[in-house]
Amino acid sequence: MKVFLVQMAPRLGDIKSNLDRHLEFLDRARKDKADLVVFPELGLTGYSLKDLVPDAALNPVRSPIFKELLAAGRGMSVVVGFVEERGVERGLFYNSAAFLADGKVLHVHRKVFLPTFGMFEEGKFFAQGRDFAPFQAPFGKTGLMICRDFLQYGSSYLLFAGGAEVMIVISAAPGRGIAGPVGFETSHMWELMGEAISYFSTAFVLYCNRTGFEEGLSFAGGSFIYSPKGELLVRASDLNEEVLSCDLDIELVREVRKKWTFKRDERPEIILHSLERIIRRHED
Amino acid sequence: MKINPAFVEKVLTRFIRDELTKFGFKKGILGLSGGLDSAVCAILAARALGPKNVLALIMPYGTGFAADVKDAAALARSLGIRKKTIDIASQIDAYFLRFSTKSRVLKGNKMARERMSILYDFSAREKALILGTSNKTELLIGYGTIHGDMACAINPLGDLYKTQVRELGAYLGVPDKIMKKQPTAGLWPGQTDEKEIGVGYAEIDAVLFELVDQRKSRNEVISGGLRAEVVDRIIALIKGSEFKRKMPPIAKISSRTVGHDFLYPYDWGK
Repeated sequence: MKVFLVQMAPRLGDIKSNLDRHLEFLDRARKDKADLVVFPELGLTGYSLKDLVPDAALNPVRSPIFKELLAAGRGMSVVVGFVEERGVERGLFYNSAAFLADGKVLHVHRKVFLPTFGMFEEGKFFAQGRDFAPFQAPFGKTGLMICRDFLQYGSSYLLFAGGAEVMIVISAAPGRGIAGPVGFETSHMWELMGEAISYFSTAFVLYCNRTGFEEGLSFAGGSFIYSPKGELLVRASDLNEEVLSCDLDIELVREVRKKWTFKRDERPEIILHSLERIIRRHED
Repeated sequence: MKINPAFVEKVLTRFIRDELTKFGFKKGILGLSGGLDSAVCAILAARALGPKNVLALIMPYGTGFAADVKDAAALARSLGIRKKTIDIASQIDAYFLRFSTKSRVLKGNKMARERMSILYDFSAREKALILGTSNKTELLIGYGTIHGDMACAINPLGDLYKTQVRELGAYLGVPDKIMKKQPTAGLWPGQTDEKEIGVGYAEIDAVLFELVDQRKSRNEVISGGLRAEVVDRIIALIKGSEFKRKMPPIAKISSRTVGHDFLYPYDWGK
């Protein structure tokens, strides 16, 4: 399976031009016979939207923008980041990732963990998602996370317990820390998580970060793919726009799980039991 | 406190290029003093935009700073950037002839604002965006003139302490003569920052790094070995200068107010 991670810099609040760029990348990906194309968090809108959030919101089922993306992505699987608002929940805006395949929106994940501290203020502008649900993608059971979701390790656990063989993380992570030997120090943090989660979930981890500047924040790039063995397969450059491509053999999940039985030995009912006790104690 | 200067150069040149492009500018303009900060900024700008797209204004007051003017001009020549020297003495003297003062600080502030005024005028004439040169140390302790040298369109150096600017400067090849100079705001001949603040930059930065970056409390910083009187002085400077780092507060009386809950991104649609 040929994967493209599109490490791009969207234009803030300019959906038209971001859509055009998405369509160009999809066109190129189809010519290169890609099977899966992943765009970064809020790639259709830019990240620091603030009060622009309601103006940028799209209904993935009705929006003509999604019709164009579905048409351009035909024959491939595509992950796009956008602001979601549905007709049944007017006025609730989510930071979402949509998985498109077979001409339809197969799954939408709404970001659960909205960073709201220091320079981050997502909780001020977005509603919180409520679930981590793996789904059947054309190439295997897949789970989506958005940026901070991935740093809360309960998120990937739930996808793992739910059977995900591929975890896709879309991100708009600004870089911080300039004392490290290469790139931003925070880029190393993301890689550590990628290594650990892919290793112990015996699943592929695809991390697609954006690049460019908004409000002085430098989005770090450094997208990567880890194999189910916890091996780094490819890593994009820091800061540059680029398309990171990689051929993945999904059968590797089977190979690794023959050797490492983390998935077979997993006992979600014990986890649930313990969690219930923890929550009861919280309530006391 | 250490930095990876090669990576910092990469980020900051991209920042300069990206911000200018987004706002439809090709050219950058900055005040070149002959000191370290503006030298580093000029080198970054020349590498980001190409030397021909950078205009350096050298704006001495009279002839008291001839050595600095010479160093600034030599740097501009070696970088191949455009330069223009404007002596601000006539307008400053005209003002203080009417409203005389003995305060060197008042005079210095007036000069800093005159330079700002000239930079903004040339920014419009030349369609060039103003690059700020205030570093993180100055911003945090408020060692700068509000609406003077602190005024700019974008600031590439504002998250680097003075000692880090020095490290970056050494990496970028700032001439020795400029590297070795005592830092000065150039408020009057012979003035140096460290004499005026009363503490050396190495010590100020060590305290700021602990307080700001490491988020340590006053007592933790002191028990870590830094001098109590210096820590207290720096905390007082930070608190006393918050107004220089903020837009002025607006009295909120409506349901949606600029600065309070009318919240749009700076680079909206860019």
